[in-house]
Amino acid sequence: MNKYTVINPPSDFKVINTHVHNIDGVAKVTGRATYTFDVKLPNMLYGKILRSPHPHAKILNIDYNKALQLRGVIGVATGKDTLGVKQGIWRRYQDLCDEQILPVDKVRYIGEPVAAVAAITEEIAEQALNLIDIDYEVLPAVYEPMEAIKKDAPEIHEGFERNINVTRHIEWGDVEEAFEEAEYIREDWFKCGGQAHMCMETRAAVSDYTPDGKLTIYHSNQSPYYMQGLMAGVLGMREGDIRIISTYVGGGFGGKFELDGAIFCSAVLSKKLFRPVKIVFTREEDFIATKRRTPMFYYVRTGVKKDGTFCAREAKVFTNGGAYTGMGATALYLTGFFHSFPYRWPGYRYDGYRVYTNTLPSTSMRGFGAPQAMWCSEQQIEWIAADLGLDPIDMRRKNSHYEGYEVPGQATIASCGIDQCYDEIKKWIASKGKLPPNRSIGLSACGFMSGGIFNWFDTPYSFSSAVVTINQDGTVELHVGAQEIGQGSNTTMAIICAETLGVKIEDIKVHSGDTDHCPPDLGAWGSRQTLMSGNAVKMAAEDAKKQLLEFAYAQSGLNIVYDLDIKDRWVHAIARPERGYDYGELVKKALRGKDGQRIVGRGYYTPHRKGMISPAYSYMLQGVEVEVDEETGKIKLVDTMTAHDCGQPINHLGLIGQLEGAFSMAAGYGYLEYMPYEDGKLMNPNLVDYKMIRATEMPPANIAEIDTYEPEGPYGAKEAGEGLTNPTAAAIGNALFHRFGIQLKECPIRPEMILNGLKEKAGQDKAAGKDKPGKKK
Amino acid sequence: MGDPIICPVCGKKAKTGSAIDCARHMFGTGDKPHRQWVDAQGLSFIDLLIEQATTPGNKSYELLAEYIEKDAQKKAAEKKG
Repeated sequence: MNKYTVINPPSDFKVINTHVHNIDGVAKVTGRATYTFDVKLPNMLYGKILRSPHPHAKILNIDYNKALQLRGVIGVATGKDTLGVKQGIWRRYQDLCDEQILPVDKVRYIGEPVAAVAAITEEIAEQALNLIDIDYEVLPAVYEPMEAIKKDAPEIHEGFERNINVTRHIEWGDVEEAFEEAEYIREDWFKCGGQAHMCMETRAAVSDYTPDGKLTIYHSNQSPYYMQGLMAGVLGMREGDIRIISTYVGGGFGGKFELDGAIFCSAVLSKKLFRPVKIVFTREEDFIATKRRTPMFYYVRTGVKKDGTFCAREAKVFTNGGAYTGMGATALYLTGFFHSFPYRWPGYRYDGYRVYTNTLPSTSMRGFGAPQAMWCSEQQIEWIAADLGLDPIDMRRKNSHYEGYEVPGQATIASCGIDQCYDEIKKWIASKGKLPPNRSIGLSACGFMSGGIFNWFDTPYSFSSAVVTINQDGTVELHVGAQEIGQGSNTTMAIICAETLGVKIEDIKVHSGDTDHCPPDLGAWGSRQTLMSGNAVKMAAEDAKKQLLEFAYAQSGLNIVYDLDIKDRWVHAIARPERGYDYGELVKKALRGKDGQRIVGRGYYTPHRKGMISPAYSYMLQGVEVEVDEETGKIKLVDTMTAHDCGQPINHLGLIGQLEGAFSMAAGYGYLEYMPYEDGKLMNPNLVDYKMIRATEMPPANIAEIDTYEPEGPYGAKEAGEGLTNPTAAAIGNALFHRFGIQLKECPIRPEMILNGLKEKAGQDKAAGKDKPGKKK
Repeated sequence: MGDPIICPVCGKKAKTGSAIDCARHMFGTGDKPHRQWVDAQGLSFIDLLIEQATTPGNKSYELLAEYIEKDAQKKAAEKKG
């Protein structure tokens, strides 16, 4: 059973942080929610995509005449049916737009789309793929970044010397001088694997292009606004002529805010054939032909004083970018930034290199580069504490961020609850008592952003917008661009709206996921919506409430020194809450006063002067109790405790769900979700061979919620759902270190790595004359 | 302290205006004109980048900063004389 404790519980909210069920819950559990997968339009065709079997090859010729002759096939599209636009989200940085979906010249990874078929059934479309002849000239390929930067490596993109796609550099302080002051320096190389986003709903799209030049697309994504803009770019259309509908989305995790083959190919086919075309990826396609968490090689050199004071850190990182940029350039920066978290480094230098290879492109995924950063950082810190004979929690605490701290040139920390996180985890460890001999505890700290201050998309709109409209019966229509992807965004927005207006949660109807009816918003990525979209909703609700209260003042005849408010649908003077009247009555009066026009409130949010990365940062410390079978090397997670500062929690149940979900994904990254490639081919693209944590393997996910107040967030809220993907892998690694004394430098940690580690350790101990392996906590 | 150093390619003053910040700016920008300027000094942009990537420390930035500083001094002397 999970335990949920609140430290510093806050004030008298009526809706915020109360037990509000997901407002989409009934539709979802009764099967009424319509996902893209469920969309069926009249006269609709089904599309299938032919994919490259080669990791690197020139396309010499595509002959699809035989496919067209198959009964039931209506059309085929190749790169020649497109404008040939190299797409990417980087509208401000065109060099990084390097991916032409349906390329005409060459393919750069196994699974890259080369042609798409539309037929009257999915089966016929699938069959037709076998009738398309493609002549390839196979080129030499390269799969690992350290190979791809060699002088004689094959060139994957013209003009990118040594296949270096993007570089990022972060530096503050005098790093050399800071290392000079260090009394102990340690350096390590780490390898971090990729990870599949593994959304419950695979990539899916239904495109419907009509003769009036309008295109409607049902699509599973994290940002309908981005999709609208990107599709306009690749199809040569105006944004306003494209409508994206994404009402229900079965997960995103960072993998669904770029164009994918489903949306692009279905739109190209629909434009060509003037019929709706639906494409739904199979699970295998989702594995081999979307994108993945970025694999990284990390070199870390850290200098500390003997008392554990941090002096300097230097990191050099090579990422396996795969064939295209995707969101990898941002992941490359963020991994370097969060590698410093949550600590104060007098000298810090990071050099990141994203390298093209002939593998599946890598991109953003929940944590956005931070899980890799923490895997390396938090393990090395644990090893340093052990090397110096220091308490790892005390050493972390001594060097941690605090409220008001400035990460030089990067960020100002306006709220920070990490100190209390240490206390809570210490209590949890103490409560465990003596552990059985096959169990140990590992810890890891981290922090994360609350939305990015990045405008690669060059949007002229506010980052978030919301419109609140009040109906005559007091019900409220909330139109938001924030995207519900299963994380509970609609509920969170409804809670903020209800709290601000002073009404009940059931008074709010949320409209999201439709570009024709909702205001633009950058969408669900980088843990931005609670803070950014939440601020827009709060502002819109305040605007509407102000209009209502103006009428209330005029009606009341009160002395102007009194303030009016609405709480729980009760309009009253704050000083005399018992004397008031019903909110519905006020709405009717206000309507009459406005000549029948509805009250409409507008809100928006764009961060200004908030540093380089994010307006606010969450903090956390996690402890994981691990059991290991020494004969098989198999890991079992027994228990966990996460002390977590997300500012003021807004959506209590949603927060718990997010924290548990993040843990399961992070645990998978730590010890299960391995993506082995051979000659550019993923060897386990299915849910039998690709292991994810199952419900039965989930340990209790206990939470100590440290409530702080973030001045930039709505009601003091900040990030909650993504940051907890960061610490778990390192915490598992640290538990193994404490149990056996082995230092594992590659994740995910596989049983054979543990067995090899034990073997090596036994050999070292024997050589050193010790008879017992490792040290135990 | 002398005048801030501006980028010999795009004329931008990088952060503090020091030569090392200018070198960081040149690597960070990394477009064709910046690469060409580095190569024209008898260095190799890509080799410096790989050197920076694969060895600890800041040697590549420091080396490029020396060239940037010399170039700035040369330009200042030309302006005076």
